[in-house]
Amino acid sequence: MASMMKEFTKGLWNELPPFRLVLGLCPVLAVTTTANNGLGMGAAVIFVLSLSNVIISLVRNIIPKKVRIVCFIAIAASLVVTVEMLMQAFAYPLYQQLGIFVPLIVVNCIILGRAEAFAAKNPPHLALADGLGMGIGFTLSLTFLGSLREIFGSGTWFGVSLFGPDFQPFTFMVQAPGAFVCLGLILAGMNFLNVWQAKRKGVELDPNFDAGCAGCAACKGLEKIVNQKKLERLEAAKG
Amino acid sequence: MITVSVLTLFSLGFASAGILAIASKVLYVEEDPRIEVVTEALPGANCGGCGFAGCEAYAAAVINDPDMPPNKCCAGGPDVAAKVAELTGKAAGDSEPEVAFRRCVKVEGNVAKKFDYFGIQSCSAAKLLQDGPDACKYSCLGFGDCVRACPFDAMWIEGDLVHIAPDKCTSCGTCVRTCPNSILELIPRRARVMVFCSSQDKGKAVKDVCDAGCISCGACIKKCPAQCISLVDERIFIDHKACLAYGPSCEEVCVEKCPRNILRCLNPDLIAEAPDTEPARYPEESHVADLNA
Amino acid sequence: MDIFLLFISAIFVNNIVLAQYLGNCPYLGCSKEKSVSIGMGAAVIFVTIMATLFTFLIQKHVLLPFNLGYLQTIVFILVIAALVQFVEMFLKKMVPPLYKALGIFLPLITTNCAVLGVAILVQRKEYDFVTSLLYAVAAGTGFMLALVVLAGIRERFEITRIPRAMRGVPIGLIMAGIMSLAFMAFKGMIA
Repeated sequence: MASMMKEFTKGLWNELPPFRLVLGLCPVLAVTTTANNGLGMGAAVIFVLSLSNVIISLVRNIIPKKVRIVCFIAIAASLVVTVEMLMQAFAYPLYQQLGIFVPLIVVNCIILGRAEAFAAKNPPHLALADGLGMGIGFTLSLTFLGSLREIFGSGTWFGVSLFGPDFQPFTFMVQAPGAFVCLGLILAGMNFLNVWQAKRKGVELDPNFDAGCAGCAACKGLEKIVNQKKLERLEAAKG
Repeated sequence: MITVSVLTLFSLGFASAGILAIASKVLYVEEDPRIEVVTEALPGANCGGCGFAGCEAYAAAVINDPDMPPNKCCAGGPDVAAKVAELTGKAAGDSEPEVAFRRCVKVEGNVAKKFDYFGIQSCSAAKLLQDGPDACKYSCLGFGDCVRACPFDAMWIEGDLVHIAPDKCTSCGTCVRTCPNSILELIPRRARVMVFCSSQDKGKAVKDVCDAGCISCGACIKKCPAQCISLVDERIFIDHKACLAYGPSCEEVCVEKCPRNILRCLNPDLIAEAPDTEPARYPEESHVADLNA
Repeated sequence: MDIFLLFISAIFVNNIVLAQYLGNCPYLGCSKEKSVSIGMGAAVIFVTIMATLFTFLIQKHVLLPFNLGYLQTIVFILVIAALVQFVEMFLKKMVPPLYKALGIFLPLITTNCAVLGVAILVQRKEYDFVTSLLYAVAAGTGFMLALVVLAGIRERFEITRIPRAMRGVPIGLIMAGIMSLAFMAFKGMIA
């Protein structure tokens, strides 16, 4: 039980996606135009993430290693189709708002990332706790970002007008540039927090640690490619 | 309804799996397993010192090309060379251990600044602006492009010049390729003499900007009994192999005859050791660029 | 004329990564070096075209006749995954230079929003076959353009002083935001 609580709470702050564990940025930027959308997307992700974690954890010993990723994708995709149909039936306005990003939950790095990193190696109850924790953390982050953008960008919160009719909203926030800048500033804030915490504890901060795409195993292979290309560039320049 | 969807998914799945299975047999690419073994033997720093883009590229070259020497990895040193030689069945020749050397003494020569530079703190960027802020356009610019390029953390900037830690330098040559003014050069660790300037100017042009620089008078070229000094690309070039082969009997007459004392003797501890403090990572932390001064 | 407008719209006005938020992960991950970003952009164009081609055909000939529209997501993603796997093997054997240039990026874009996003987008917009392919080319080109420009800017960042908290992804995101703002100016191009 204690281990379940541990797995659950780590998704709420220590490994909060997407602010601390930078994974799955695509929907974060797109759906957070209002807090309501953020909450709705978060709810869908909780459903898919926790169930996919449990199912993958249950079948982890049966799936052969070579077809691992394809199986994870198949399981996640089935769950996403279920969520899609549930949304179309019970929350159609939300489905329309989220648009193309509902089927894109299946390629959200969080789902595949947690499946590969955690669910494939742990028993079902821990996988469920991890999925729930990450999902709720993700929802909280999305709602927070959505609220921020909605309050400044439209003057409302969950549809309730906050500042009255004379408020000139900062429309930049609800459009594409505002999303990027807002997320960038929040990540910078998280970095700053890390540095401040490390200084307070007197711990030496790993210079390579920065809020950056480190969660996706695919991107880790990029470091090698980047170094290789850098060398080739130097060769060409001096050669 | 359910049967149709299940059947469709199954057939699509089987079709894909079948095509992929056939493809993996038909399109199978033979990969030499020796390449991986040699790559394991190499240090894996991907420093580029061998002249290839990464350790795997060199491993492939040394396996496939019968003329490729097995001792090109300078970062790994003689141990790795011996191992690679063993794995590839080639003879490991002896390679002269080298070290990087900075051919510039602008601080000693009191080289003035043409202007205050507030641009991008990078040597290549500074060079674009009228060949850099120093009066001598062939000087070490001191912004640390080489420091950042060095894969072994063997360089640092101090007093507007780059310094090299000989114990950390593996003579990979990355810094030599990075320097836009070509003031860095790889010389044998046993080298007896070296010219401390890379100016391509002559005579008065050099004397006007630097008290110490080489004026290309040619005295050393004439005096060397082994004729290992020459002028290449308007700069003094010393053939260290010939110099070492000739031996100490010349008593370094080139150093004696240099009117500017820019061709100097090297002792075994030829370059300053690493400092006690942490070397600067960003140039402005050590570069004299205090805007309030 | 329509094709020209389609291209302008997909590359500049509704740029796939700056205006439609598709493909942000590789956008931030691959924009540190210009040569890497060119390779990634080319790989994305290549995979997007093939993915759109195959998914369009499957939607038209398998899913619609059997009334299986709801299986779109699953079928699309599985087809794309299998396709990329096959293409990688094919390139490695048949066209080694091309494999050397973009082979390493292929696994990275299999499960990528950009590819699946474009495949689903052309279905929702109900384009015909040729228009879908052209849209795929245009979207991929837009991605590559945005990626290469950001890579050029981020290379400059290597040697400038950036506050400790901003280094890496945060400053990249803010730069992307400013670029997105610049691209918004193109909205006036099409009346």
